[in-house]
Amino acid sequence: MNQADVSKLMSQLRIAVRPNKRHLKNADGPEGRLLKLRKTVTALVKHERIELFYNRADEARGYAELLISNAIRHGDRHKSTMEMADYWLLEKQLVHKLFKVLVPRYENYNISYTRMFKAPRDYPGIYYRKSVLELRGNPYPVLTPDNSQNRNLLHNVLLDEARKEFRREKLTNLAQKLATEMDKVNPGLTSTSDHTTNATEQQYSQGEQPETKL
Amino acid sequence: MSAVTKLIKPNLGALRQLQQYRNIVNLSATAALRSRNELFSQEQRRQREAVGRIEKIEVRYLGLPEDVTLVMNNHISTPYNCAQHLSEGHCKRAALALIDGTVPWDMHRPLQESCTLQLLNFNVSEPHLVNKAFWRTCSFMLGAALQRTFKDEAKLELHSFPGPNIKSGSFVHDIVLGTQSWEPTKAEMRAISAEMVKLSAQDLRIERLEVDKDVAIEMFKDSRYKSEQLPSIAQQNQGRVTLYRLGEHIDISRGPMVASTRFLGKCTISAAHKVASEGAASAFYRIQGVALPSGFTLNHFAYGLLEQRSQKLNSARLPNEPFEEQQQQQMQLS
Repeated sequence: MNQADVSKLMSQLRIAVRPNKRHLKNADGPEGRLLKLRKTVTALVKHERIELFYNRADEARGYAELLISNAIRHGDRHKSTMEMADYWLLEKQLVHKLFKVLVPRYENYNISYTRMFKAPRDYPGIYYRKSVLELRGNPYPVLTPDNSQNRNLLHNVLLDEARKEFRREKLTNLAQKLATEMDKVNPGLTSTSDHTTNATEQQYSQGEQPETKL
Repeated sequence: MSAVTKLIKPNLGALRQLQQYRNIVNLSATAALRSRNELFSQEQRRQREAVGRIEKIEVRYLGLPEDVTLVMNNHISTPYNCAQHLSEGHCKRAALALIDGTVPWDMHRPLQESCTLQLLNFNVSEPHLVNKAFWRTCSFMLGAALQRTFKDEAKLELHSFPGPNIKSGSFVHDIVLGTQSWEPTKAEMRAISAEMVKLSAQDLRIERLEVDKDVAIEMFKDSRYKSEQLPSIAQQNQGRVTLYRLGEHIDISRGPMVASTRFLGKCTISAAHKVASEGAASAFYRIQGVALPSGFTLNHFAYGLLEQRSQKLNSARLPNEPFEEQQQQQMQLS
C-alpha cells in the first residue's frame, strides 16, 4: 500500500518493448555495446531518419524515447536529465536541439516520438534484418504510401458509393417528411409539394455532408 | 431457428462416427467432383501437348524497373512466367496482366502472340480492370467457400454469379438450397467468411481453361443449373466455354480473374437473401459479401459502414429471371 506510484517516478514508454534477446554483443564488452547505442541515439537526434540493423534500432529506440520523454517532463534545469542528455548525445550541440527543437515539437504528443519500419535487406548481403528508425515530425517525405488520394482504389470506390447512397437516402427521407407535412397543411395539392421538396433537396445537397471519411 | 441451422458443418471437431456416415453420403458428390477435376486436368494436358513445335514470341514488358523485351514460348509462357524473369516481388504483387495496353489477361493464361505486357496490382493509378477482376474472383471464391461449408444434406447447388459491379457495394453468388426458409445466424455467416479467409491463406492458384461445349457439358452433367446455362453461353462465344478452377472447385466465368486467392484480404460474407422459391422444397438464395484486397488497411468504423451497405439486397439480375437476358446484362456491364 505504501509503495510509490512508479509511473510518477519514471517516464512511461509509449512503445511496446518486446522481451527478446537483441544479440548486441560487442568485443569491448558492455561499454562497447553502450557506446554503439549512444552513437545510434546521437545519429537519430541529428539526422532524424536512419537506416540500420533491426536489433540495434529496436534497442536504441527505447533510450531515445526515454531521453525525449524526460526532457519534456523535467526541462533543461534538471540535473539528472541534463546528465542523461550529456551521456546519450555524443555531439554536444545536439543537447540544444533536444531542448529547443524536439521538446517544443513533442510537448503535446500523446503517441510515441519515434517510428520504426522494417526495411528490405540487400540480396545477397549480410543476413541481418534491417529497419528504418525516424523521429516523428521530421521534414523528409513520408515512407508509407498514401492510399486516400487515389479515389479509384477499391476501398475508396466503395466508400464513395456508400457516402452517395447515404446522402440519397437522407434526401428521400427528408422529401417524404416534407411531402407528408405539406399534405397535412393543404391536402389535395400534391403538385406544389413536389416543387418544394425539389427546392429543399437542392439546398440540402449544398449543405451538410455525412461523415464517412477514412 | 430452422432446418439448415444444423446443416452447416461444425467448425470444431465433429464426432468421427458422424464423419464416417457423412463420407458414405458424400460419395456420389465427391465422385462427381473428382471426375470433373479429372476431365479438367485431362483437357489441360491435352491442350499443352497440342502446342507441338515451340515457337518464340517477343514480349515487350513496360514498367518498373525498366522496359525490357523478353523472348518467350508461344502458347506456353504466361504473364506470370514473364514476371518470374523480372523479380520475386513482381510475381507476388502482380494480380492481373494488361496486354497491348488494353486487354486484361489472366496471369496464368498462356500468351498467344507477340505483344506488350504490363503487370497490374491494386495500387496502380487506374485500377478499374484489376478491381473488377478482384470482385469477380470474390464471387467465384464465395462459390468455393459455400461448397466447402455446407453439408450434403443442405442440397446446395450453385447457380451463377452476375457480372461484377463494385459500385453496388457487394459481390454476389446465387445458390439453390433445399429449404424454403433459411435465416442464417451471425455465427453461420461468420463460418462462411472464415472459409473465405482459409481459402485466401491457402494461396491457391486460379487456373483458366477454355474448353469446347461438349467437354463442358460432360463436366457439368450432374449440375442441373449449369447444364441449363451452358448452351447459351457457348453460343455467345463461338462454341467455347471459359472455365476457372480453384483447388477442386470449378465454375463457368468469362474472366479475367486475379492470379491467386492470396489477394483476398479483409472479407465479410454479410447477408443471404431469399430471392424466390424453386419447386416445392427448395429456394433461390443470394449470398452477398464485401472484401478488400490484401494489404489495404481500413479502420473498423469505415469497414463497418461498408459491411452494413453490403447487407442490402444487390440489385443485379436475379437467378430466376431468363438467362439470356442476364447474359446480355453481363455483356453490357463488363
